[in-house]
Amino acid sequence: MGTKVEDLASRAGTREDVNGPAMAAFVAAGLGTFYVGVIVLLNEIGVYAAPAIHPGAGGVSGRMIFATIAWLGTWFVLHQLWRRRDIGPARVYRASIALIAAGVIMTFPPFWALVS
Amino acid sequence: MLFTSDSIWTMAHGIALGGGGMLGLAAVLFYLWSWSVGSGVRPTERQATMFAGLNVAIAALLWATVIVGTFVVFPIYRLPPPEGVVDLAQHPRAFLVGDPELAWLHTFAMESKEHVPWITAMLASAIAFVTLRNPPQVFADRGRFRMIAALTVICFVLVSEMALLGVFVNKVAPVQ
Repeated sequence: MGTKVEDLASRAGTREDVNGPAMAAFVAAGLGTFYVGVIVLLNEIGVYAAPAIHPGAGGVSGRMIFATIAWLGTWFVLHQLWRRRDIGPARVYRASIALIAAGVIMTFPPFWALVS
Repeated sequence: MLFTSDSIWTMAHGIALGGGGMLGLAAVLFYLWSWSVGSGVRPTERQATMFAGLNVAIAALLWATVIVGTFVVFPIYRLPPPEGVVDLAQHPRAFLVGDPELAWLHTFAMESKEHVPWITAMLASAIAFVTLRNPPQVFADRGRFRMIAALTVICFVLVSEMALLGVFVNKVAPVQ
């Protein structure tokens, strides 16, 4: 069923040792969440309304497609920068969780009322 | 007709796609707990690869959920009623907004459901990428494991919340 930790570690070590690509994916996910929160909040407080890319869905289609493009672009850039590097996982963990928390809070409807 | 195409799309969105993603996330949480760093037991290479495949399937399901939800089901939900129409049963958004006791189902539940599922798809994509890139390393590297566990928990909580809100909305004002 399972295997020993040492066996797995030695197999894993034969493939890829740098953690940069993984850390880039995590930070990009945090930033993607943050982008979603920012673009939603800007819309709700009347600062910026993204255009409706899909007429039936309305403004949400523009907001989410813009945020998705920004997330993918950020992920690509971070991946290129970190693909051969080892990044401190503790800092990535803290930054990603903070960005995700901030992004989720900004999509929380009661928060819009507080801000506006 | 028992089910209209609109209600079938809604069920595909909420039950097949979103529900499938949520079940998959529950399975991932179970395996993360079983193979946690402190347990001393790790998956075989084949099991780690299957674990990666499960995460890829979850990401695909969650992206399908948000795409169908945003571009197929939501336009039906928000379709404004023609002038003079009194029965709003076919116009869920107008039905909810028009009743002060039910308005929160739009202003809180649907407003959340418009955006948060996109976040879950992004988080699931990061998890899928990292697990697929080097499956055994996920269980050999404490930093990667910790990050994946945290994102999976967040993703599961958010997907569950959206599913619950979806049940509430569809119970009161179903797309039909």
